[in-house]
Amino acid sequence: MQIDVDNSLTEKNKKTTKIVRIVIYAILCFLVLVYILPLLWIIMSAMKPNADFKSSPWALPSDFSSLADNFIFAWTKGRLGRATLNSFIVSTVTLIISLIVGSMAAFSIAKLRWKFSKLVLTYFMIGMMIPIHCVLFSLYTQFASWHLTDSLIGLIIPYTAFSLPITIYIMAGFFESIPNELFEAAVIDGCSVPRLFVTVGLPMAKTGFMVTGLMSFVNNWNELLFAMVFISDDMKKTLPVSLTKFVGPHSTNYTQMFAGIVIAVIPTIIVYCIFANQIVEGLTAGAVKG
Amino acid sequence: MDKLLRKKSNIILFLAPAFILFTAVLIVPIITAIYYSLCDYKIGLTPEFVGLKNYITMFTADDDMKTAFKNSLFFMIFSCVTQLLFGLVLAALLTNIKKGRDFFKNVYYLPCVLSSAALGLMWYFIFSPKYGINKIAESLGLIEKADKGVLWLADTSGFIILPIIVISFVALWQYVGQSMMLYMAQISGISSDIYEAAAIDGCTKTQAFFKITLPLIKPMVATAMSLNAIGSLKFFDLIFSMIPEAMRGKGGKAHVLATVLYDQGLRYSKYGYACAIGVVLLIMCLLVTFLINKFVKTESDI
Repeated sequence: MQIDVDNSLTEKNKKTTKIVRIVIYAILCFLVLVYILPLLWIIMSAMKPNADFKSSPWALPSDFSSLADNFIFAWTKGRLGRATLNSFIVSTVTLIISLIVGSMAAFSIAKLRWKFSKLVLTYFMIGMMIPIHCVLFSLYTQFASWHLTDSLIGLIIPYTAFSLPITIYIMAGFFESIPNELFEAAVIDGCSVPRLFVTVGLPMAKTGFMVTGLMSFVNNWNELLFAMVFISDDMKKTLPVSLTKFVGPHSTNYTQMFAGIVIAVIPTIIVYCIFANQIVEGLTAGAVKG
Repeated sequence: MDKLLRKKSNIILFLAPAFILFTAVLIVPIITAIYYSLCDYKIGLTPEFVGLKNYITMFTADDDMKTAFKNSLFFMIFSCVTQLLFGLVLAALLTNIKKGRDFFKNVYYLPCVLSSAALGLMWYFIFSPKYGINKIAESLGLIEKADKGVLWLADTSGFIILPIIVISFVALWQYVGQSMMLYMAQISGISSDIYEAAAIDGCTKTQAFFKITLPLIKPMVATAMSLNAIGSLKFFDLIFSMIPEAMRGKGGKAHVLATVLYDQGLRYSKYGYACAIGVVLLIMCLLVTFLINKFVKTESDI
């Protein structure tokens, strides 16, 4: 959209450009407030005792000795600590398995030579269009008969399967962009295909790992519906589920609930701040190519 | 080299784990879900084939599903239109500035990666009658008392009830960053030569946006719009966390497809019926994607 400012541009034009620019920045800054203020309000209120919040919900915390009280309550009594651990286990294990299994499949589609590779890729792509609601209860009854419900493994298996299509899609793109000459050189040196994958393929597709890994981690960390149906044991609930149980209409202690909300979003906010550019680019990469 | 890469055993070794997992956990359950949807299947009993009974009940006798269709379709249309509009405007504004572009982009995208359930609860408090925006309105003197103000999440009058409209705006707030990103990616791919040539011919920036940018990003409009449409049909987390239970239980006015499915399956253990709702949802998603791609994409070929 940038058009180089022509030297012949008159003073008046320059002035309007400047005004337009100021207006644009004003709009953008206003929107930043719309995005940041609600989050700041929740974080700030979570540091206050409930009575202070009720009397003046928009004031800064005044009592600095009790800043962490609500967080400690939500973490221990609200079982959010346990839930955070469960979410961490589920998301991490899913991430590792889907990356290994998915990138292997992507490698076979992109670099190995066989007739039906394009067809199989399309087959996996079907998965991106399927709403998981559709398989929710048929999978649930199946898993219940195998005694896989109420266990973290029962969540890891479907989460991994749902992460596969996008992982395979993006990783196949990355493997395809690796020049064949690199593989040829390794094969002449007597390298087997599995070693080729590990020593040449994987290091070259590092960015792809980063992107797909972050995506699947974020998605599974936030997933609510499956986790709610599959897990009923309080000790095995994941973070979003425990949070919706902890923050309910029956509780009257608002600031403790705010602390719960903050606990649920802070890890993702930190991860996002570190990897923002990779996440943003990665999440769009898949859609752009399609 | 070629021989090695063609070896069947290698292909099977690499492909099999993903293929088996994907088929067993996604494709097979879809087929069983379609079968269950044609059955009377309650917890503890074996499925009993009843033909299209579940579908007939769903479309004729279930008031919750009527509400759900209405609300879900509203969400879909609202999100397709507003996300296209605001996503494009944001993308256009951001591509026109240099300083701070990444900062703004990252801030607007942030809610997309956060838990909808947590953000929904946050907005639930902001729209609560006593402590949120009604309290600000009170202190500004706009209304007399905070709890006498608008009942943002509890008003049930009107064809589309107020809570549903409030939640569509929250959803717009949360996900507009994604549309913006998609459009930005596409816009930055347009060669600057085209704009320079147009500028030489006396084309203004506004003209350039409508005559050059819009036609060139049409394929992306199709992609972003299908993502929005599917996302809003699947909508669950925000409703679940923002709406009081009474309004999304039996006879509730804030139902969407996913909340009825959840209710029927988990609360009443009517798995057959829940699967039928899931199948309808799947068909709607496929249909909407097909229609959007057909109508939005073909126009760009002209």
